Amino acid sequence: MIRIDGVLLSKGSGGVYGEKMMKGLRVWDPYRSKFAALAMIKPETDLDEDLRVLYLGAANGTTVSHFADYVKTVYAVEFAPRPMQDLIEVSRRRKNIIPIMADATNPREYAPFVEEVGMIYQDVAQPNQAEIALVNLPFLKKGGVVILMLKARSVDVTADPKVIFEDTIKTLEDGGLIVEDTCRLEPYHHDHACIICRKP
Amino acid sequence: MQTVQYWFGDAEIDDGRVRSVKFLKKSGSEEYAERCRNIESDMADFVPLRVADAIAGDNGDTAGFKDEAEYFETLRLTTIALAESKIKLYYTKGDIELVQMVRVLDEMDNVINRLIERATEWYIVQNPKFSRKYKSVSAKKMVDIMRREKNSLGRLGYEIDRLSIERTRLMREISDRADIIAPNCSALVGGLVAARLISRAGSLSRMAMMPASAVQVLGAESALFTHLRGNTPSPKHGIIFQHRRIHNAGIGVRGKVSRVLGGKLAIAARLDYYRGEIAPEFIEKAQERIDYVFAAGDEGGKDNGNNGKADGKVDGKDDGKKKNDKSDKRRSAE
Repeated sequence: MIRIDGVLLSKGSGGVYGEKMMKGLRVWDPYRSKFAALAMIKPETDLDEDLRVLYLGAANGTTVSHFADYVKTVYAVEFAPRPMQDLIEVSRRRKNIIPIMADATNPREYAPFVEEVGMIYQDVAQPNQAEIALVNLPFLKKGGVVILMLKARSVDVTADPKVIFEDTIKTLEDGGLIVEDTCRLEPYHHDHACIICRKP
Repeated sequence: MQTVQYWFGDAEIDDGRVRSVKFLKKSGSEEYAERCRNIESDMADFVPLRVADAIAGDNGDTAGFKDEAEYFETLRLTTIALAESKIKLYYTKGDIELVQMVRVLDEMDNVINRLIERATEWYIVQNPKFSRKYKSVSAKKMVDIMRREKNSLGRLGYEIDRLSIERTRLMREISDRADIIAPNCSALVGGLVAARLISRAGSLSRMAMMPASAVQVLGAESALFTHLRGNTPSPKHGIIFQHRRIHNAGIGVRGKVSRVLGGKLAIAARLDYYRGEIAPEFIEKAQERIDYVFAAGDEGGKDNGNNGKADGKVDGKDDGKKKNDKSDKRRSAE
């Protein structure tokens, strides 16, 4: 990934959401994007230019637009209509984003569009985050990674984030994934954790 | 051998490999979108598509897309067309606009109140002899007084007045629209409160799926979460407090009335969402029940509490019947 003076950057035309530019490249702010935060915390994080990504919970398409700068194709799944309007606008200008309006808990809705992907990136504010990752596994090729951004507050506001975190890891492992790495996204995002798994 | 439906055509799959593809006749993204509205995949033994299978030459066939660029361009336009039609459908439901209207109304209330407060302070500086004490100067009157000034404060007063008129108009519009979108809820608590409830729930469909207890405390989320976190008492009512039967109820039965009203509203929301028309016999019975519990507060004493409970069971059965009736209707509608 492109880093200059400790700032994460991506190639592409700017002005998507008012992001700063540096030497003609787009600044990828770790305080706004969880994937950027992960890339700051774990410098070995990389995005291959031949990678196909299934992005669950694409929202306004800010992180999606940076992904699109790096990888080959992004299949961006989003359920809510309001952010979907923005996502469509982004995909009109970035030809490698396929915007899909569907519910990530029900992959049947978008199965006809999605090819086999090398990475599932999931950032959904839902209570059953681990289950969502598991039902989407048929799209992931062998050896592919799942990056799950877990917001403990979305699972259960009253429970201890630590317990939720462990429960989620257990569900993922029971579902046949190998949890390779975990980390918290402090200081960029509070109450967020990242779980990186691999499909054997 | 199995057939899997991809967006561009039906594929014959054997042993996890695509053997042949029957392509949809070459056409625009609208035709592809039309096809995609009608297909469903089975995730049980799902085989993800391979782009190469869709490209002529690569798939050992002359049919298909010219190259990868054409494939992705068509796919992107197809999914955009699909998403746009879904968004359009979502917005035409009406309650989405209602939610936004309620939010604007609340914001207007906020703005008007703060403007009046601020402008009053200014007016007092301009007129040192003025005092609101012993005169009961309402906010409305205050605006009228300010409007008489011949300076920018007077013009501000005029604008605040216009904003208030617009606010009243919006309120009436919200109430009328709630009568159409949620006739049963509106009949129970009035259009404005019904609209507020829908707004807080997010949409009518969400409210229809809420349990009665959630409807009861809609709008009291902060009190509810403080209660869940610590040892404060649970909130008795949220937005429904604005209903006269609750804020006028005796302190002893206020919680009971809230619970009954919450329950009836939850049923009403389901009627509104699934049936979409008014159910007079339900409204009548619900009103009766609410009035009964409300009236129990006037007499006071322990007895009434028990009466209310005993009666509640009978009424509960009745509700059960209603629900069955409704689900029958829903089934027949499908």
